[in-house]
Amino acid sequence: MTELATMDFHPRPQAGDARPWAFPAPERGTLDNGLTVLRCHRPGQQVVAVEVLLDAPLEAEPAGLDGVATIMARAFSEGTDKHSAEDFAAELERAGATLDAHADHPGVRLSLEVPASRLTKGLGLIADALRAPAFADSEVERLVNNRLDEIPHELANPSRRGAKELSKELFPADARMSRPRQGSEETVAAIDSAAVRAFYEKHVRPATATVVVVGDLTGIDLDALLGDTLGAWTGSSAEPRPVPPVTADDTGRVVIVDRPGAVQTQLLIGRIGPDRHDRVWPAQVLGTYCLGGTLTSRLDRVLREEKGYTYGVRAFGQVLRSAPDGTGAAMLAISGSVDTPNTGPALQDLWTVLRTLAAEGLTDAERDVAVQNLVGVAPLKYETAAAVASTLADQVEQHLPDDYQATLYRQLAATGTVEATAAAVSAFPVDRLVTVLVGDAAQIKAPVEALGIGEVTVVAAE
Amino acid sequence: MPMGHTATAQAGSGGLTATEHRLANGLRVVLSEDHLTPVAAVCLWYDVGSRHEVKGRTGLAHLFEHLMFQGSAQVKGNGHFELVQGAGGSLNGTTSFERTNYFETMPTHQLELALWLEADRMGSLLAALDDESMENQRDVVKNERRQRYDNVPYGTAFEKLTALAYPEGHPYHHTPIGSMADLDAATLEDARAFFRTYYAPNNAVLSVVGDIDPEQTLAWVEKYFGSIPGHDGKPAPRDGALPETIGEQLREVVEEDVPARALMAAYRLPHDGTRACDAADLALTVLGGGESSRLYNRLVRRDRTAVAAGFGLLRLAGAPSLGWLDVKTSGDVEVPVIETAIDEELARFAEEGPTPEEMERAQAQLEREWLDRLGTVAGRADELCRYAVLFGDPQLALTAVQRVLEITAEEVQEVAKARLRPDNRAVLVYEPVADETAEDTGTTDATAAAADENEEAAK
Repeated sequence: MTELATMDFHPRPQAGDARPWAFPAPERGTLDNGLTVLRCHRPGQQVVAVEVLLDAPLEAEPAGLDGVATIMARAFSEGTDKHSAEDFAAELERAGATLDAHADHPGVRLSLEVPASRLTKGLGLIADALRAPAFADSEVERLVNNRLDEIPHELANPSRRGAKELSKELFPADARMSRPRQGSEETVAAIDSAAVRAFYEKHVRPATATVVVVGDLTGIDLDALLGDTLGAWTGSSAEPRPVPPVTADDTGRVVIVDRPGAVQTQLLIGRIGPDRHDRVWPAQVLGTYCLGGTLTSRLDRVLREEKGYTYGVRAFGQVLRSAPDGTGAAMLAISGSVDTPNTGPALQDLWTVLRTLAAEGLTDAERDVAVQNLVGVAPLKYETAAAVASTLADQVEQHLPDDYQATLYRQLAATGTVEATAAAVSAFPVDRLVTVLVGDAAQIKAPVEALGIGEVTVVAAE
Repeated sequence: MPMGHTATAQAGSGGLTATEHRLANGLRVVLSEDHLTPVAAVCLWYDVGSRHEVKGRTGLAHLFEHLMFQGSAQVKGNGHFELVQGAGGSLNGTTSFERTNYFETMPTHQLELALWLEADRMGSLLAALDDESMENQRDVVKNERRQRYDNVPYGTAFEKLTALAYPEGHPYHHTPIGSMADLDAATLEDARAFFRTYYAPNNAVLSVVGDIDPEQTLAWVEKYFGSIPGHDGKPAPRDGALPETIGEQLREVVEEDVPARALMAAYRLPHDGTRACDAADLALTVLGGGESSRLYNRLVRRDRTAVAAGFGLLRLAGAPSLGWLDVKTSGDVEVPVIETAIDEELARFAEEGPTPEEMERAQAQLEREWLDRLGTVAGRADELCRYAVLFGDPQLALTAVQRVLEITAEEVQEVAKARLRPDNRAVLVYEPVADETAEDTGTTDATAAAADENEEAAK
């Protein structure tokens, strides 16, 4: 029984005329010390975003010292030649700033956000951190211990535990990518301030670094400001590091990370595939969105909105590392969590969705909606300075031209249903997917084995 | 229809303006122009949250929020999501103690669609609501509960702290996610009754912010929402009044399979909308915000007894706000060591008050948070609704940062002295056990998000 409403109904309105919008084009330059600068004026954005990219990738970490890039990144905000660790943090916060730093496969990245009125102060602090980090013994020791304390928390988190297992499965044992980005207990424990300083001296210099500055720069003499701050950072010249290719074993198989008593199973189903240098990327973005980009995509239509097995399952492509010659790769994956009793049925449905996609392809209507969303949301997505800065920095980190994102939107609009289908099917072939399940093996192993999606092994959670 | 407020910027508003209007059916409308980017945000706050729920039906407001995305008279099934996303928009809904909000951010030329969609479900949800949606979304919400709380370590900490800090029977005793048993017990008729009671134009505020033509926007609002009948008969939520302090130290020890010991506490603080609440926000920021706070410096940097230590503030208008402390211990450190250090720091702070540098730091941090909130059209739309619904005046959103900057060190010290005391807190201690049947695994900061339930899964 439904009930009638008493309001006046009107036909669904049609769209008005779109106002043109384009992804902003940055201005590119170089400081005297070799530091590459990208800047972009965004009127009204009072919080300025600054990203600094350092050519210090994880594969440059010395053997047995996984995590040294992470500790170095964190140690940048633990004191300089001018400030103690406590003073540095206080000065940053007094400027209303936040500074995050993290190390990943392509390199180390520092992200500063600061109100435009205090940009001078913020840039001064980040410049000091890069130019003259203290790396005091005691602070590094504290960061190491802190990192060691974090590891059990990560292992207890189903989604992080799943990601760790997938990396281990996919990549060759001697590849840095097979191991945790932030190191293991053994390797982190071996890190000291001498190791951090050695890594810094070998890999951190303005000549191989880039800074991206985005925000409302009205009334700011950015050249003078950069000259006084990051311009004072010195270092030897160096060639960019060669980027090794990425390889992975995507033989279809299942690994269960056993968590007895878990009320849900965390799914992470992945392999590697083309990155943004490949011509297929726009079609892959489109096809992946149709498969699992949102609540109304194919996966959630069944798993969430029809069956109620999950709060949401997503398919995504995330660049792992790119190279100028196109030998980089992206992680292509499906992730989410489903309740324990429905783990078997949910995976069965997931595979049926993939098989149906391969057999019947996407519809034109699906493709159209996906394009309209992916292209249409751009002005929303890039409203803040931080979002623009992050994408510009990604482009630099991935050896892409500065107009890449703007071009991508045009390519997406020109990609057809057939290309999107082909890309999605090649991205997620049913027999070339590595499935990691973090859940209660006693309850889920038999139903998963019955699906025939690959050999099933069980490993302990810790 | 304008109600006296003009579009002239007030002091301390950063040049932002808003106008207010009211339709004959009681719908309040707030408009704010900003033509920098071709986008427009639509935000609709209904004055209903988990505090309005009755015994045996916890979680109903949030479950109902999910049902609002299951179609209405002119919108089929998932059409709301499909149409907004297909128009290049983004959308969601969330439920907290005090309100339920729904929002769409659209490219400017698609604004009218969002207004049409919101009006359709406000006026005609029950034309589409059926058992199939109800059963499906009940399962989805139960899986949301498992994913965000039950299947992660410390995931139910916020629920436990809230239950300790607000007594049995108090409208804030339970959190918006509700209990599994109550989610199971909710019926289609409960959902229908909930809609009939709370979803009316005179129980909502609509804000539209961004690249808009105010006259045209108002005409569209009148066209689509104007004929929806208003109705009274909404029961007031149960009284949330409580004494200013708890009067004793409440305590619960949880033995679970968690990765480390933890000390959490909830302090009873002044209501949102008061100077004292802004002063409390500053006090908590000095003590436990960022990485140069007193507690971070003491526990993480100097004593090295904690892996993380911080304070958060849950602002509430209909009950005392809640200051929430979260410390995860380092290595084998025992909880009493942490607790003693915290008591020392809090007592010293109450005795000395903040230093001028600490005030400057805390105010700069809160100022930046406000710039972030107001820096997007969606954030601004949400804040305008918040101040309209909870405090009756959306203009207060635009001057909120100014009020934080006017708070004095004496006010900060005063609230710390009065409220940040051991006899005004509920303490939750986690002791790890290696029990295989215990609840399992997760994030260390599940608590912060727990006050706001989302419709769509995190991406």
